[in-house]
Amino acid sequence: MTRALLRRVNVLGLLTLLGFFLLWELLVRTGILRFEYLPAPSGVLTAGADLVSSGELPTNLGHTLEATVAGWLLATVVGVLLGTLMALVRPVWVYSMASIDALRSLPIVAFVPVAVLLLGFTTQMEIVVAFYAAVWPVLLNTVAGLRAVHPRLIEVGRVLRVDGVRELWKLRLPAATPYIVTGMRLGLAVSLVLILVAEMVGNPSGVGFALISASQSLQPEVMFAYIVTVSLSGIVLNALLVGLVSIVFRGQMAAAGEK
Amino acid sequence: MSADAATTPLTPKESAGTTAARAKRRRGGAPLRGLLPLVLGLVLWQVLAPAQSPYFPAPSEWGRALLPLVKDGSLLTAIGWSFLTFVLGLLLATVVGAAIGALIGANRTVDRALGPTLESLRVLPAAALVPLATLVLGYSMQMKLLVVVLPATWPILLSVRTARRSLSPVLMDMSRTLGLGRGERVRKILIPALTPSMLLGIRIAAPLALIITLLVEIVTRINGLGGLLGFAQASFLTAQVYGLLVIAGALGFLVNWAVTHAEHAVSMRMTGGAAD
Amino acid sequence: MAAMSTVQKSGVAALECQDLRVTLVGAAGAVDILRGVDLAVQPGEFVSILGPSGSGKTTLLRVLGGLQSIAGGEARCNGTAVSGPPDGVVTVFQDYSNSLLPWRSVRRNVALGIESNCSKQECRERVEAALAMVNLQASADEYPWRLSGGMQQRVQIARALAMRPSVLLMDEPFGALDAMTKASLQDQLQRVQEATGTTVVFVTHDVEEAVYLSDRVVVLAGKPASVGLSLDVDLGRPRDQITTKERPDYLQLRHQVYAALGHEVPR
Repeated sequence: MTRALLRRVNVLGLLTLLGFFLLWELLVRTGILRFEYLPAPSGVLTAGADLVSSGELPTNLGHTLEATVAGWLLATVVGVLLGTLMALVRPVWVYSMASIDALRSLPIVAFVPVAVLLLGFTTQMEIVVAFYAAVWPVLLNTVAGLRAVHPRLIEVGRVLRVDGVRELWKLRLPAATPYIVTGMRLGLAVSLVLILVAEMVGNPSGVGFALISASQSLQPEVMFAYIVTVSLSGIVLNALLVGLVSIVFRGQMAAAGEK
Repeated sequence: MSADAATTPLTPKESAGTTAARAKRRRGGAPLRGLLPLVLGLVLWQVLAPAQSPYFPAPSEWGRALLPLVKDGSLLTAIGWSFLTFVLGLLLATVVGAAIGALIGANRTVDRALGPTLESLRVLPAAALVPLATLVLGYSMQMKLLVVVLPATWPILLSVRTARRSLSPVLMDMSRTLGLGRGERVRKILIPALTPSMLLGIRIAAPLALIITLLVEIVTRINGLGGLLGFAQASFLTAQVYGLLVIAGALGFLVNWAVTHAEHAVSMRMTGGAAD
Repeated sequence: MAAMSTVQKSGVAALECQDLRVTLVGAAGAVDILRGVDLAVQPGEFVSILGPSGSGKTTLLRVLGGLQSIAGGEARCNGTAVSGPPDGVVTVFQDYSNSLLPWRSVRRNVALGIESNCSKQECRERVEAALAMVNLQASADEYPWRLSGGMQQRVQIARALAMRPSVLLMDEPFGALDAMTKASLQDQLQRVQEATGTTVVFVTHDVEEAVYLSDRVVVLAGKPASVGLSLDVDLGRPRDQITTKERPDYLQLRHQVYAALGHEVPR
């Protein structure tokens, strides 16, 4: 039992990671590695603990994550709806796909200044940015997923008189679910990055703003602490999504080999 | 970080029996008729936009707002800086990514040893690194490159690692029995065998590198196209922001087009199109 | 069930084709696959369709199942022209892996066609009955991709049976299975057909299977194909894998079908 667990945990890899941190600590302490603003890992830990106990980090992280999740959820709903429409109604696809391709080639970050201009330094602006970032992967994956449904499955639906809305609900959407989930995961990652940018150039709140102010007040430990927590939150959000999905859509995900 | 995602939708596996005609149609992408809503939207915008609108200046204003930047040469300089950062960043990412990818793909133990460290580097959101990088490295080209290279390395690294792992051991043994030296083996067997996967990684990394380049520039306003965008936004030059957005879009389109075609051309030559 | 009663009207064929022509568009343009096909299947009859690969067996079955449009002639089910899958006609496909919903358990796969128009209670009963007919009660809560190929095909057959079809169209249903599994499924199918009285049209490329199972064997021949041979199989029922296949009349029928398929008969 413990041995099986040990084999699954990458002990060697974790030791390497730990060794890497120790080396970093050592190099900074002994002054071999000398950048003016490179803190030692121990300094980052104390700074992080201070930020947590003062409540500053939880507040900022909460703000950033709330805006990300709000925009991303909105993007999921809109992306799946529009993607379904595009995939199932051929004229809609013909008369919109090229426009979407064109809009998509605009680098997403370049929209942040536009959003800041139009909506000002507000949380709505952040949500809009997160929405915009996440809606493309969800939309495109929905379209791709629905178009990849095996034609035999649709014939089975015809033979068994599963048609119209029931066909969409019982056959097409479940078959496309692994694709849609991939789109959602990608969208989540992109939203989080774009939210940070929006907070750095725009809204004076959240992790992005905290990073910028720590940079201006020359507190690299604080910045490291924020970077680590925001990375971890990204991992946790993704894991939550994957876990939730594998419970709710157990059959789909397992069948697609995503389990 | 994995903003690569946004530009690469998951495509369904092509069925084996794809005819040449269908492949061609697919490469052409969606029919051009689909541009209609975009064009219509722009025309409506032009017609309906109130004169001197602070938020939605008409598209014709965009060009006019860019004129001063064109005249004093700052637009061209900015594009130059962005492009230089992008190209250098992608180049470095390719070298680093391919080297590490080939290394950890060849040896399971090394892979396991470095796995968690690499993985924890991978999840760092590029945007969050910018303020830190400026603090440590200053507002410099090195700072820009560091932020661009870090995320752009992953697609290449992962792609090369997978390819190296699945490389038939026979290929390496064969070269040894033929008496090829170590250097020759790398040059004549390993590099050609891994090139397609490296190109595949580059195709995903390139748009990502461009996005991160603009991201660094927008956040730091150091130089480049993103810097101009940041300044225009801070000075409420709305029309200029839209104009620069279009230019950024054109650059993005160009990069996408170039890497897609380059990858296709090379992989066609190397595999006779079998990989397609 | 409604379909059951209409079938019982005597004189009307369950399925009927007259001068049927089907054109498929392939890489080389439109090609006639079937031309001048005349076929009538009586209620309760078990008809196998044989023919060389590419002869249009599957196409003919798809026409009868309302999945393939026709270029000329007529296709009727219980006297009415076929357009879309007719009531009471259910197709079972060869590729069970693409035909079953991987995200539904066996039980819910079987319920797919009836869950929307039956009460919960009735649905449950019909699913159980269908599963019992193919001996799958024990695997009812498994996912189909965890089962063997033969079991998956039984799930598909159970799903069709749950619809209580008057006609079962089967497109090489046992084509992808090993010989042992195939034999046991053949006998299971025989029992089910005897118990339900369902009309079966069975496409196969296996001559022994066709003769063993059928009341009548139809061989498609020519290019474009039409009915080359229609042979009644009077072997009586029940049949079994050993004694039936040792009967001289079985061997004689098998001989005739092989000959019709163009195999040289050595002197």
